[in-house]
Amino acid sequence: MAYKYCVAECWGKGFITHSDSSKYQVSGFPGNVWQIPANNQDANLWVNKVAGIWKTKAEAQAIVDAEVTAAQAAWDALPDEQKQQPIGRQRPTAIVLE
Amino acid sequence: MATYYGTYGQKVQYLASDPSDPQIGQVWYNSTSATLKVRELATVNAWASGGALPGVRSVQGGAGASSLSALAFGGFSATSAVTETLSYNGSAWTTLPATMGTAVYSMGSCGTQTAALSAGGATTPGAVQSLTQVYNGTSWSTPPAALNTARRLTGAVGTSSAALLVAGATPSATGVVESYNGTTWSPVTSLNTTRYALATSKGGTNTAALAIGGWLPGASASTESWNGSAWTTVNSLNTARGSMSGSGSGTQTSALAFGGEVNAPGNATGATELWNGTSWTSNPNSLGTARYNLASASGSQTSSLAFGGYTGTAVVANTEEWTGIEAQTKTVTVS
Repeated sequence: MAYKYCVAECWGKGFITHSDSSKYQVSGFPGNVWQIPANNQDANLWVNKVAGIWKTKAEAQAIVDAEVTAAQAAWDALPDEQKQQPIGRQRPTAIVLE
Repeated sequence: MATYYGTYGQKVQYLASDPSDPQIGQVWYNSTSATLKVRELATVNAWASGGALPGVRSVQGGAGASSLSALAFGGFSATSAVTETLSYNGSAWTTLPATMGTAVYSMGSCGTQTAALSAGGATTPGAVQSLTQVYNGTSWSTPPAALNTARRLTGAVGTSSAALLVAGATPSATGVVESYNGTTWSPVTSLNTTRYALATSKGGTNTAALAIGGWLPGASASTESWNGSAWTTVNSLNTARGSMSGSGSGTQTSALAFGGEVNAPGNATGATELWNGTSWTSNPNSLGTARYNLASASGSQTSSLAFGGYTGTAVVANTEEWTGIEAQTKTVTVS
């Protein structure tokens, strides 16, 4: 499936509604990047509703990469005892947008 | 030709505008729009964004009947374990005055917004706990009841006075299951498949429950059903996953599984599956924010809540509301 991307800040209730979700999938990524199906008029209207700023796939990937790199640096700076806390967190790994 | 009056013994209501609170099954004619309308239950099966937690949290406890009535407690912020209790009203979280006696995370959790249970978990890195904490709607207490097997990354089912605590990590994976009668924990039959960080049908009972997925340590799709005396392996999830401790909604015959971590470490999923008592069906709509170590309301397949968690990059405050079925007014097309 082909996708399109935008950047929008989730404000909570009403950002994605059940009506939105039942028509198309909105998937969030680091950096407030949101992925929606391409060629979907309802999804395009959702981007308008949330005042999303359209990004090309390359631009969206760059935003996600920057967030992951920052998260990796934050992880690397943690003391070893915090890295070993059993809360299921690992060093963040790269995310490749589809 | 059959008529509505002939079939139902009543005339269709003739109204200038739609009623403000129509009942399921109610039929009326809107004379203004010249349309015949009916109030009926419609399948939605979709997630929507809800009010965010006041701060980022993962491996929390969760309870509550629906997306309109939930409780979050304990868990891990970005840096430490917390004792806070939060209440969700369908649109926003409120921090309650009640705090847990002991800051704990990765615990088993179940119950309602006004009667919740926290069992086991961890308080410090590497530690496992046997303590039980109970919320009565006003405050938390720590009854003398202790688990026979201290553990974390476990799953709970039931109420604050009748619960089941399923599997976990001691820190080694264990299939131990214990039943709570409001006073003491008693060991019962263990799971067939030892695992930890599993989900459960949190809205079930201590005599009818599901154990869902988890780590073996590899991601598991295994599902087991509890009938009060024995576990039976039933049909597996479509997406094997772990890191779901504290999540899962519904009952033994109508459950919901969502989120988790698939086999590659840090690889979060938002995949949502519905259990009909026999098999799991992948739902077309996933969580908007894929994550693991999230928590949930006990909920049902009709209504539940997912909150907090870790995306693989960051701990988040996101809340998402699940609606399976809702009342909708529809226009009836007639010829």
